[in-house]
Amino acid sequence: MIGMFSTKAWSAKRAFTLGLLAFLLAPIAALADEGRVTPESVDCLSCHGEPTLTVKLESGEEAPLFMKKELLAASVHEALRCTDCHAGQNQVPHPERHYKNLAQFRASFGEACKNCHFENYTKTLDSVHYGLQARGDVFAPTCVKCHGAHDIARPAQPRSRISQTCATCHRPISEAYAKSVHGKALLADRNPDVPVCTDCHRSHNIADPKSRAWLMNTPALCGKCHADDKLMRKYGLSTSVLSSYLADFHGTTASFGAKGRKTADEPVVALCVDCHGIHDIAKVTGASAPAFRANLVKTCSKCHKGASENFPAAWLSHYEPSLQRAPLVFMVKLFYQLIIPFIVGGLILQILLHLWRTVVNR
Amino acid sequence: MSPTSDDVVRFGPRDRIEHALVMLIFFALALTGLPQKFHDAALSKTIVNVLGGIAQVRYLHRLSGVLFSAMTLLHLVSALAAVIAGRSRLSMVPGAKDFRDVVTTLRYYMRISEVRARFDRFDYKEKFEYWGIVFGGLIMITTGFALLYPIEVTRFLPGQIIPAAKVAHGNEGLMAFLVVILWHIYNVVFAPEVFPGSKTIFTGKISRERMRHEHPLEYARMFPEEADQVLGDDAADPARKKDG
Repeated sequence: MIGMFSTKAWSAKRAFTLGLLAFLLAPIAALADEGRVTPESVDCLSCHGEPTLTVKLESGEEAPLFMKKELLAASVHEALRCTDCHAGQNQVPHPERHYKNLAQFRASFGEACKNCHFENYTKTLDSVHYGLQARGDVFAPTCVKCHGAHDIARPAQPRSRISQTCATCHRPISEAYAKSVHGKALLADRNPDVPVCTDCHRSHNIADPKSRAWLMNTPALCGKCHADDKLMRKYGLSTSVLSSYLADFHGTTASFGAKGRKTADEPVVALCVDCHGIHDIAKVTGASAPAFRANLVKTCSKCHKGASENFPAAWLSHYEPSLQRAPLVFMVKLFYQLIIPFIVGGLILQILLHLWRTVVNR
Repeated sequence: MSPTSDDVVRFGPRDRIEHALVMLIFFALALTGLPQKFHDAALSKTIVNVLGGIAQVRYLHRLSGVLFSAMTLLHLVSALAAVIAGRSRLSMVPGAKDFRDVVTTLRYYMRISEVRARFDRFDYKEKFEYWGIVFGGLIMITTGFALLYPIEVTRFLPGQIIPAAKVAHGNEGLMAFLVVILWHIYNVVFAPEVFPGSKTIFTGKISRERMRHEHPLEYARMFPEEADQVLGDDAADPARKKDG
């Protein structure tokens, strides 16, 4: 619960407590304050509560060792002892350790989370972020870079916090997302249905979004919501977008995994994101529809070099052919729906009659 | 009757080679085309994987399609040249007799009448399959061309041509496959008269017995001395006087 208090609210409360009750209830107020962190933490803070406390590393960098009590008290982990995470530090003075630089110093605590959060820790081992870490990238996100260290709060309260967390590093993408149909609904309307970063990219086992496997999975990923009848009805959106995609050339290719390309950089095949965009996905109906339509030739030309004005109509825009939408396609389809059973049925009947007559003749 | 001395030649080397090639190409087209139409089926995924992926399957399909187109066009051009030069007997051209033969045959099958139709060089079933391959082939060639060159085709024609061509290509192909699998294979392999299969299209030879039975009108022309015997078998055939 305490995690929900913002630092600002907490200070206001503290100011109020101090301002009005300091003289009368000083001892009780102090007790209440101490109750927010563990007694052991109080011990630690007798040294680490000193703002000037630092340690000099081999690189010459100074590592700050100061810990604000309010920060600890606001964390979801307020009930944990310092040594639950900082294992091996119960002795004072602490055993001597050697760190080359600040990055190494920080990384040494990075694996403390797995003691409790083992499942999520294991998931991160498959993530693109862990891949960076393994290659020695000191800027690669660790648990604490996203979740914070001493001030850990619930990551999805409010939901928009998730996007803000990712934006720390992925600023331009976050800005594009904020302008998209999904981002706008999240930020302006607090919409609970639109995806935040982690809904598509997952939170701990974040895959490389440029990998083939990930790209090929995008129709299924978008389909998770856009083929969900209950969810789409709420917004008046069609759920046949996935089935109509899969039934056409692009989707069929994608469903076969587009294996066997001649060269690695040959385009895979048009996936949802190739026409609709990735983070900047816009509505294709309503106000932005004309812009989307006007841009279609350009969109198709990304792969189909030399496409003319007629070309975009070769794709039925997720619509089922009908007399109004695509009369030619509709008529051809209807023709075969009638002629195939007629011809094939007629031939089977003739085979059966022939067999019957042969039996009768014997 | 020993078959060797008794056989007559029905198909020349050119017909036999053409049939063998069309058979192979048709099989290749069906094998690489149907999994694309029925892309959801587990068997389709297996076939595509075995053949080395969808890009490879499409390459093979297009290659076979180009070969099929070349063969069809060559066949039609040479047939047309033969007609113009007056070298063709036009034995494949359907006529009123073929429609009467259908009625006669169906009446016979249903035991309404005991009269059997008497066929010339090609019976109505053979003509139906031949023209089915020709017209179906032309549809497959034109729609396949549109699907292979959508950018170029839509430069002159409306975009809707492409999805229409796709619907036509897939359905026409399916129909051709079903007609061949059910009708053609029945007629030349499983029908009691030919079971376990007629080899005529591969060897070019047919026994005189089968010839007399299945193509009596042509037989009578080949062996005029037996014409009266063959054609006189069934005086009740009403079609005979007009067509025979």
